[in-house]
Amino acid sequence: MKQILIFLFAACFALNASAETLDTIRAARKPVKEADLNILKAAVKGWHVRLGAGFNIGGASPLPLPRSIRKIDSFNPTLCISLQGAVEKRFRQTPWGMQIGIGFENKGMKTDATVKNYHMEAYNADGSGKVEGAWTGHVKTNLDNNYLTFPVLVTYNFTDRWQMKAGPYVSWMFNGSFTGEAYDGYIRDQNPTGPKTDVTRAIYDFSDDLRKFHWGVILGGEFKAYKHLSVSLNLQWGLNGIFPSDFNSVTFALYPIYGNLGFNYLF
Amino acid sequence: MALLTGCIKDEAANAECDIVALDEAWKQANAEVLRGYERVENNEVTIYVADGTDLSAFNPKFVLTPGATITMKVDGQDVAANGVTRNFNEPQIYTTHSEDGLWHKDYKVGFDYYVSIDRMSFEHYELDPSGRYQVWYERDEVPSKDDPSQVKYIRHDYWANGNGGYALVGIAKKPEDYPTAAHEDGVNGMCARLETRRTGSFGDMVKMPIAAGNLFIGTFDTKIAMKEPRNATHFGLPLVQDKPVLLKGYYKYTQGEVFTDKNKKVCPERKDTADIYAVIYECDPQNFVALNGDEVLSSPRIVMMARINNPGEPQEWEEFYVPFKSFEGRSIDMERLKRGEYAIAVVATSSRQGAYFEGAIGSVLWVDELRVVWQLDDDADEQRTKMEQYLETHPDER
Repeated sequence: MKQILIFLFAACFALNASAETLDTIRAARKPVKEADLNILKAAVKGWHVRLGAGFNIGGASPLPLPRSIRKIDSFNPTLCISLQGAVEKRFRQTPWGMQIGIGFENKGMKTDATVKNYHMEAYNADGSGKVEGAWTGHVKTNLDNNYLTFPVLVTYNFTDRWQMKAGPYVSWMFNGSFTGEAYDGYIRDQNPTGPKTDVTRAIYDFSDDLRKFHWGVILGGEFKAYKHLSVSLNLQWGLNGIFPSDFNSVTFALYPIYGNLGFNYLF
Repeated sequence: MALLTGCIKDEAANAECDIVALDEAWKQANAEVLRGYERVENNEVTIYVADGTDLSAFNPKFVLTPGATITMKVDGQDVAANGVTRNFNEPQIYTTHSEDGLWHKDYKVGFDYYVSIDRMSFEHYELDPSGRYQVWYERDEVPSKDDPSQVKYIRHDYWANGNGGYALVGIAKKPEDYPTAAHEDGVNGMCARLETRRTGSFGDMVKMPIAAGNLFIGTFDTKIAMKEPRNATHFGLPLVQDKPVLLKGYYKYTQGEVFTDKNKKVCPERKDTADIYAVIYECDPQNFVALNGDEVLSSPRIVMMARINNPGEPQEWEEFYVPFKSFEGRSIDMERLKRGEYAIAVVATSSRQGAYFEGAIGSVLWVDELRVVWQLDDDADEQRTKMEQYLETHPDER
């Protein structure tokens, strides 16, 4: 158990380390090897391990919704799961503490929207051609992304049972898909003054264009129902879009915003 | 979802600024001279009037996208132009402005007479308004009414091609990359070069893996080019005033190597073939409906047809003469001809089955100096003799 704990601690620490501190860490490694295990034991004292599982419900949405989106005809949050391990430490004699974690997260959604004069660009499979224009009609979107997420949270305990937490997270998307179709509408070549072409159905796949690195903030609350079990509700607000800012097929940033309902086992 | 719906903003003002149609009341008021047919395209409007009509004062009124306005330049100022009288001896420029004020575009509005199509030289072309591909027009020289020693040029925008549809798949980077392009190695001056090209994954997706080069008298409706491609090619215009005798011209052709069908399946037993033909068909000039790509060679409205049956693969310019033959026993009725009830389509394509997306990428048809010889042409007999000589050596075409 301790080995896992040390690994988690080291992983989180390393990930949050800035470039300037890397040398310090390298320098610190040597003494770790030689160190008395007791020192480590002391360092991890007061850190509690927890494992959680939950559901993510939400989507990637432009903020605010652009005028070109006229109607959300359907929205399906899909079944998105999350698994997380974390260590938590409560600072002595204060209600404050901190929590560092590593988690697997699945974030997805399915939407069907009616748009008007929605600027789009799409490249063909071998990159030799580009469709660009203003689209009026329907757009279906399927998003299904998998992330490794590292949250660093400050906790505040109101009572022994109620806790609030907030802090930043970074995510690495190791696998993602963003596909969909434009249907029943028309595209005006290049811009709204261009020739009009009716389109029955055109599919798109922007999976390869998705951004790998994400960050954002988490705000949440947790209720400790039993000694070893707690229920948490977190809001994860992405602060960079799911596509790089120079990606023009979707002209507005889509921010991943998800609520997470989690169940945690506290060791 | 309720949360999202709550965030939806008020609908933006219209960004489009099209001339949608001619105003019906205006058409009624001018019914005497109008021929009941006009071409309203994305940047151009052509209104057909009876031959000889004075064009110096017309006040066309247009139906626009809701909220859009239309202006013209007077002394550098934009002034309202809908229904305003202007001199159409030359085409006039109008500017439409979208309701949201962010977009505008120029339209060239011209009046034209119905005259028989004869020479098609491919000398006159220009870039489309978006500047990406070429469009062709013909130019007639006529003596000026005011001063007969001066010649005046009348422009006829009756050529169409599918480049507008190809523009959408975004593969072409310059005008020469389009299936239909001008080329300088003509018999005289420029010629048209038609090449069957790939459409890329966007084309594959909609089962249109190739785009044959094409050039035809008529209009191309980009709007339905993807949904109903063969309905988008409107073959022909009601420009017939005489009985046709023959279709002549020059061409050369190279087959592409691999023939594929609409699913991109290779058909090793099939070979690509060019197509050059002209059809004369019945129409109601007051309510003109062109033949579409499914019926242009089979419609019961067709009266006569001239076609190179077996064009082969001449590598040098081949001069051809093919007769207009009665189609399924029908013939031209002189009374109907006087009433202008016939239309003509002249069509050239680099893949005979291109309308069905079958052909070989890389097939190239070069075509130049097409001409429809009519019975009343001064040199009709001479041309007939030349045709007989041609048919002697090309019995397939008889």
